Amino acid sequence: MNNDSDFDKLPRWPLRFLSWFCPVEIAEEIEGDLIQKFYRDVKNVGEKAAKRRFIWSAVRFFRPGIILRNTFSYSLINTIMLRNYFTIAFRNVVKNKVFSAINIFGLGIGLAACLLIFQFVSFELSYDTFNEKLDRTYRITNDRFQNGKLIQHGTIMYPTIGPVMAKDYPEIETYTRLMPGGDLNVKVDEKIFKGENAHFADERFFTVFSFPFLAGDRSSALKDRYTMVLTESTAIKYFGVADKNYSSVIGKVVYWGLDPQPYKITAVCSNIPENSHIQFDALVSYATLISPEEHDADDSWTWSDMRHYLVLKPGTDYKALESKFPDFSKRYFQGDKVSGSVEKFYLQPMKDAHLYSDYEYDIARTASGKAVWAMVVVAVFVLLIAWINYINLTTSRALDRAKEVGLRKVMGALKSQLIKQFLFESILISLFAFLVAITIVLISQSSFNDMIGGNLSWWKVFSEMNSSTILILISVMTAGVLLSGFYPAFVLSSYQPVTVLKGKFQRSSRGQFLRKSLVVFQFTSSAALITGTLIVSKQLRFMNDADLGMNIHNTLIVQAPERTAWDSTFIDRVESYKHALAQIKGIASVTTSNRLPGDRLGRSFGIRLSDQPSDAHFTMSNMGVDYNYFDTYGISVVAGRKFLLTDHKVKFEDINTVVLNLNAVKLLGIDNATNAIGKEIVWGNGGRKYTIVGVIKDFHQESLKNTMEPMIFRPNYSTYSPASIKLEKSDIDNSKKIVADVEKIFAKFFPDNAFDYSFLEDKYKRQYRDDNRFGKVISVFTILAIIISCLGLVGLSSYTAVQRTKEIGIRKVLGATLFNIVALLSVDFIKLVLLATLLALPIAHIAMQYWLEGYAYKVVPGILIYIMPVILILLIASFTMSFQVIRTAMTNPSNTLKYE
Amino acid sequence: MGKEYLGEFEELILTMVAALQDDAYGAAITEEIETRLKREVNLSAVHVTLYRLEDKGLIKSSMGGGTNERGGRRKRIYTITSAGMATLKMMKETRLDLWKLVPQLKISGT
Repeated sequence: MNNDSDFDKLPRWPLRFLSWFCPVEIAEEIEGDLIQKFYRDVKNVGEKAAKRRFIWSAVRFFRPGIILRNTFSYSLINTIMLRNYFTIAFRNVVKNKVFSAINIFGLGIGLAACLLIFQFVSFELSYDTFNEKLDRTYRITNDRFQNGKLIQHGTIMYPTIGPVMAKDYPEIETYTRLMPGGDLNVKVDEKIFKGENAHFADERFFTVFSFPFLAGDRSSALKDRYTMVLTESTAIKYFGVADKNYSSVIGKVVYWGLDPQPYKITAVCSNIPENSHIQFDALVSYATLISPEEHDADDSWTWSDMRHYLVLKPGTDYKALESKFPDFSKRYFQGDKVSGSVEKFYLQPMKDAHLYSDYEYDIARTASGKAVWAMVVVAVFVLLIAWINYINLTTSRALDRAKEVGLRKVMGALKSQLIKQFLFESILISLFAFLVAITIVLISQSSFNDMIGGNLSWWKVFSEMNSSTILILISVMTAGVLLSGFYPAFVLSSYQPVTVLKGKFQRSSRGQFLRKSLVVFQFTSSAALITGTLIVSKQLRFMNDADLGMNIHNTLIVQAPERTAWDSTFIDRVESYKHALAQIKGIASVTTSNRLPGDRLGRSFGIRLSDQPSDAHFTMSNMGVDYNYFDTYGISVVAGRKFLLTDHKVKFEDINTVVLNLNAVKLLGIDNATNAIGKEIVWGNGGRKYTIVGVIKDFHQESLKNTMEPMIFRPNYSTYSPASIKLEKSDIDNSKKIVADVEKIFAKFFPDNAFDYSFLEDKYKRQYRDDNRFGKVISVFTILAIIISCLGLVGLSSYTAVQRTKEIGIRKVLGATLFNIVALLSVDFIKLVLLATLLALPIAHIAMQYWLEGYAYKVVPGILIYIMPVILILLIASFTMSFQVIRTAMTNPSNTLKYE
Repeated sequence: MGKEYLGEFEELILTMVAALQDDAYGAAITEEIETRLKREVNLSAVHVTLYRLEDKGLIKSSMGGGTNERGGRRKRIYTITSAGMATLKMMKETRLDLWKLVPQLKISGT
């Protein structure tokens, strides 16, 4: 019938589990039934299914009907008391509706704010964490000095740095070098695609970065010349890959620009995660840049467009390696002999790349770590304010609850039971608050996402969070709930029944002091936040409205006809293209330039005047513009002339005129702009000479976060120069029509090119995206903090008013006026709020000075900006209190005194 | 007795206890329901229901013998009390009374 082998098959842990929770009295029979059923199942449905059923059946016994069986007498008291606590707590919540609502909403708003900010912050902190070698990966950064001054602080350097360092320092496990290739412009099966961002990267790229592959081989994908790796979405876009069959793309070819050489697809990697500091749609093999005739990309000590990443061997101290770099620099660069500047190299841990980078020519997607941590501080303060509110409101109701406590004690309640009761109440309120918070988060998620320009959700945050973060989060929340519950619980439960019930109970001055300091803390935080917000918004307004030294309004940008070959007729063609565009009604003028306002310019390091000694070096940012540029952008000429059509030459070698800005003139040591005209400068390889024909005023090529640099302009036409089209006025309907007309003309002049346009102002303002986002978030949370503080004040003032009704009654009987009473009730709070603002101002001042350091051009916060928050806070505070105070002051004394 | 009434599953278990007599214990009842009614029931549900019926005084229990088949564990044998029998009977009768109210023609016709 049965045998021992069946018994051996029986899994043991469900039985152990059962005996853990199951009361002894009934464990045996249940075990017996389970075992019997198991044997039957083995016979009927097989061993595997039987085991599964056995486990499931055993687990299903974990239910109240079983667990509480025969332990009834023990659980009786607990559940009854718990139910009692719950009932009392619930009744208290319902009885004081306004009070509870203030409590719950205050806490709910605070929690919601925290949750939202936490989402954002945890996303920002999650950058690059998916890389397996993150903790060993470093970016090399490079500072350059000329004449003792820092002239470049960047991530770009010479292609030789990586291989030579890897050769010289054995602690380097591997390195990769890459160079941004800009936007792709490719032809795939007669279709043109434009705009995908590509980098040139060597074959070690995918050993350094762990972007997963969907097809192809990681180690060899970027080995050969003219090979390409696409991301998932690019592969779908180019080849219409269906059913995730990415291998079908391998071996297909695309044609890039005018290059007759086909580029072969060797691999497809999955899309680059949002939280990667390095972003691309495609990679082209670095080997493509190197040929037997043209190997600068491999061994140049002067071409500096390459970014380098190092992976160090486990256990290497990167600071120790970094300390060897001065020697490296001396050995290979011999001061400024090789590259024209003194080179210093550093290592930046890759985990810092997103939040702590302030480099020029950075391809990283960066954000301000300062701003992120500032938001954390704000979130913590908002939560503290909310919890303080809770403590404050609960303890301030002491008098109401004192009688209850006294009576309960008389009836035999222990202190511990009372503490339990009050804790239960605070947990209940916290739970309600949590529900409110979650509702707020769910409702406001999409507008919050709009505000920060991200795509966050709790799902994403939770799925990417590790268990320790969750643990910290939960324990912080629990600690907060318990701590904010404990203080009132202890205060309230410690009353002596005798004093309380005799009616002699007075609020202790100690409690009052604490309550007052809490109010001061709340309003200090609020006032500091207001001051901060005002300064941030003033800075943002200043930057957005600043006079840039040029006019970027109403400017339409049309991308360059990159798929057009350069030949001797190109200048004429662009001229007639520009001319045709200028004929369109509503277009004021047209120009082309190789960079646009807002772009980071390239630098030239070896510029000098021809009469200066040949070892003099000056660095300027350079730009190639056509002769309409300064007119179109309204840049004023200080001395000399603008470019003329005759300055343009078909052959690059024939160009011999330049225009400088005032900073460049100053850099060259010329005291006066007029004196610069006609002077000769030496620029570039082979000592080419140019004559300075004009000097222009400095303008903000980049945002106001950057200083205006010395600039040098060369007359230039290029197949890579986008056109800037100045419209006569901003008129959205009309501009649509103009764009259509422009497209027609573009297609006529440059067939086989994709038409792509944008508005310059949007692009330029995008430089302030991070700042605007920070400004918005800060103001929203400031408002929240104020609301919560005010909720607290409403509660507190109404409470004091109620406490003092009798006093007020007597005062009124003795002849006090309404004004007297209002003043009496308000003055206490006004004093606190004033003190708070006074404390807040220096804190805000210091914090904001620190924040403003990040801007080259900044507002000077005037005295008004510090007075305003004080007035604002006072107004808000008085306003919130006024209803309650005036109502109390107006009550008829006969109503309050008749019971005496 | 008025307010005391049983759920469908409780009634089923109570009937099984009455039917199986000396062999009424958790596993046997489960087996019987599964084979006769072709209805999947969970062992824990049966146990909980048995305890509830016992609390209501409709059945009583005593420990029976253990067999090898059960890994040596003893069974708890349930027997129906007279109160249980009365409830069962009453439920059957009410059911029948109600059944008589249903117009028979309507069901068999058309």
